[in-house]
Amino acid sequence: MAAVPRPANRNTRSPESTLRVLSFVFITVMIVIPMIVILQDAFREGFNEFWHQVTLPVAVSAIVLTLWTSALMTAINAVMGLATAFVLVRYDFPGKSILNAIIDLPLAIPTLVTGVMLVILFGPQQTLGALLEQQLGFQVIFAPPGIILALLFITFPFVVRTIQPVLLELDQAQEHAAATLGARGWTIFRRVIFPALALPTLSGSLLSFARAVGEFGAVVIVAGNIPFKSQTAAVYVLGAVESENRLAASAISVVLITISLAVILFTNRMLARRNRS
Amino acid sequence: MTIQKVDALRKKDGCWGPRRNGERFIVLTVIAYVAFLVIAPISALVGGALQKGIPSFTGALSTPELWQSFLLSFEIALGVIAIQGILGTITAWVIVRHNFRGKSLYNGIIDIPFAISPVVVGYMLLLIFGRNGILNPVLQVFDFQVAFAVPGIFLATLFVSLPFMIREMIPVIQNLDRSQELAASTLGASRWTTFWRVIFPGLRTALFYGIALTMARAMGEFGAVLVIGGGVQGRTATTTLYIFHALEERQYVEAYTAAILLGLGSVLIVSLADWIRRRSQH
Amino acid sequence: MKQMIGKVLFAIVLSVLLAGCAANQPIDSGSSGDIHLILAAYTTPREAYGEIIPLFQAMWQEEHGQTVTFEESYQGSGAQSRAVVEGFEADVVALSLEADVTRILDAGLITHDWKSVGANGMVSDSVVALAVRPGNPLGIDDWDDLGDEGVEVLTPNPATSGGAMWNVLGLYGAALRGQVAGVPGDDPDAAREFLKSVLANVLVMDDSARDSITNFEQGIGHVAITYENEVLVGQQAGLDYELVIPRSTILIENPVAVVDEYVDEHGTREVAEALVEFLFTTEAQEIFAKYGLRSVDPDVAAATSDQYPPVPDLFTIEYFGGWPQAREDIFGESGVFNVAIQEVQGQ
Repeated sequence: MAAVPRPANRNTRSPESTLRVLSFVFITVMIVIPMIVILQDAFREGFNEFWHQVTLPVAVSAIVLTLWTSALMTAINAVMGLATAFVLVRYDFPGKSILNAIIDLPLAIPTLVTGVMLVILFGPQQTLGALLEQQLGFQVIFAPPGIILALLFITFPFVVRTIQPVLLELDQAQEHAAATLGARGWTIFRRVIFPALALPTLSGSLLSFARAVGEFGAVVIVAGNIPFKSQTAAVYVLGAVESENRLAASAISVVLITISLAVILFTNRMLARRNRS
Repeated sequence: MTIQKVDALRKKDGCWGPRRNGERFIVLTVIAYVAFLVIAPISALVGGALQKGIPSFTGALSTPELWQSFLLSFEIALGVIAIQGILGTITAWVIVRHNFRGKSLYNGIIDIPFAISPVVVGYMLLLIFGRNGILNPVLQVFDFQVAFAVPGIFLATLFVSLPFMIREMIPVIQNLDRSQELAASTLGASRWTTFWRVIFPGLRTALFYGIALTMARAMGEFGAVLVIGGGVQGRTATTTLYIFHALEERQYVEAYTAAILLGLGSVLIVSLADWIRRRSQH
Repeated sequence: MKQMIGKVLFAIVLSVLLAGCAANQPIDSGSSGDIHLILAAYTTPREAYGEIIPLFQAMWQEEHGQTVTFEESYQGSGAQSRAVVEGFEADVVALSLEADVTRILDAGLITHDWKSVGANGMVSDSVVALAVRPGNPLGIDDWDDLGDEGVEVLTPNPATSGGAMWNVLGLYGAALRGQVAGVPGDDPDAAREFLKSVLANVLVMDDSARDSITNFEQGIGHVAITYENEVLVGQQAGLDYELVIPRSTILIENPVAVVDEYVDEHGTREVAEALVEFLFTTEAQEIFAKYGLRSVDPDVAAATSDQYPPVPDLFTIEYFGGWPQAREDIFGESGVFNVAIQEVQGQ
């Protein structure tokens, strides 16, 4: 996600309109038309039928599960991502470059594999998994915590990599001034450092939220997929598609798209407003 | 974001190892978190691939179906890169250099594929190209198959990887030095020459990086390909679908081996591009 | 400027054309005399077809001098059926339940009376049964044990898996028939309560029957509701679990059919019909029996009755009034299953 770039020179030459046309056609064909198609299909039988599908208890349950697991995951990711970025930029310790390299690994692993790995490692059949469930008192794999774990893995790089460059460029003069005035570490962080990082943390978090809401590959393996209990919206859509329930598939897809779109537009707006000030 | 760059910057300000207990705690927590979340599962994957010993692992590596599916994933990724490289760059150009009403919405639309569920992507394509799809009559006339054939997988992959190239190119185009372009056109260079000789060299590195990201994303796509694709071995089975079916066939070593291959390949491509990018900055 | 645009457009069109051409190799049989046949099947009989197909190929080569190459796809029956309807050009379909073939028929792709072939169009049978851990530590011997506290059950998702539908019908049917201890017969409410108690114990709902059993093999769950066939095949593969057949269960009948639209398009009708015919021969039926499927051939069935003991109370889909009725009553939006699962989660 990014703010809208403003060209310095507003006089664009007209031969470039061909480029614009090409771009418009590309984006329209690739994105806009499919969106319209699915929107039209969802409302094929009128708004009432659409609403009926969206308010079906099993659909609502799936959407709610998707939203709260993604939200909780985002909160954890924000905190740990911030901590990780901070540690990578400000501290020196053995193994730091390895840590830095590992951060990007989740982006390279196909999501299907992520799910499989988590089941291998934390599934109830393994000692580690069984131990974990005993200690924690609740089920991890095939239950919402497993979903959160998978989502955390997949979106881990997002927050870290959004914060890192900003932290790097931060002018430490203010921090030193604060320290001279007697403030200690936590206060310095809270009053001086964090305000500068608030925006990248938020945008990175929102990015991971939007990504998490639609996640399928990892979730379908690691969640229980039990309706009302551990079935996310994406998995519900798959079930609808496979049982020829087109209305349900289209309707819930539209809901998912709306959520993602809203988050993205909000973030872009926020970044744009920041850039203007 | 490389560690060398981080350290180079820091040594200017004066770095420190975590001295106070609070700082040590944070560092340890982060390390523990990464170990638990990232390292442990990947180790389990490697362990799974080697569970029946090295000969089984190397045997899995030489399975023809694996390479068949890898080839398909690769070919599709190449096609996607070709289109994204050209049209994606053009779109990035238009966003940076042009001004028009609704530009911020346009900018936001581009991020949609990033956040949409892959299942929805596959389903959208089915609505258009499936048997009951809108374009099906047209397809019938040309006897052209999209759903459950490679074109369908191609389109799905193209869709999900759309934002990567564009997002990479935008900042670079923004930072271009326009005085050189101006100078070139004042000296009588044609648009094409200006582009090829003056603009393109500045974009090259970002282009490579965008290609690498697109490739990694394209080869790793699963959900959309599952819904639109069919997974028929030798015809429409990408590497991810191969892994999926291998798991179903109880061929665990083959599945994990393919997964490692895919993951390693992606990591290598992105690292290579990153290395090229760093080199060009010196 | 025009030059540049021209080059760009050319490059784009070229890549798209290349991609399209490379992808769209004609599937129909060439003049070289080779026939290419596409089989779309569900997950369970994978191993059986692995042996039957080479036999068929050899037979055809001998009788007609033609080589038949096969492309096989194995996935969940519902998913497979959907794929065929949406454009997967399978010549022959071998699915888990009749309803999935009916879907293809309704889409206009099958135009002949497929049920007139062989034994009512059904090429193999199985029964819904239970897979338990070696030694059966929890002492599970019938349906009623699945409702007990603390028992972890695996069964796939009915929306995507034909197998899951058979499972639910077997369970619910047995309860309705008064064959489950503690559940009065002919009492839909009591039967539904029992279904709920089992659903409450379900740990994971997988995509397909095969996924479900492989999960079980990984050590997940205490008991898996599955096909007798899946268990037997798994045992043959060296996996260590036991088979328990409830005293009352449903007979799973697996249909096979030639897909008229595609065989005519590909020019493979003769071979396809021959393949289907071949599946009903003693040779093929024996292979099905070898890989855990009950034969529809009475002689082969009699010969393998040791391996496949008769079930005390065996009922069929007819008990529910056929597939369309069952899908409506049990799996429809307000069907028994959906109501039960809703009530289980306390919604």
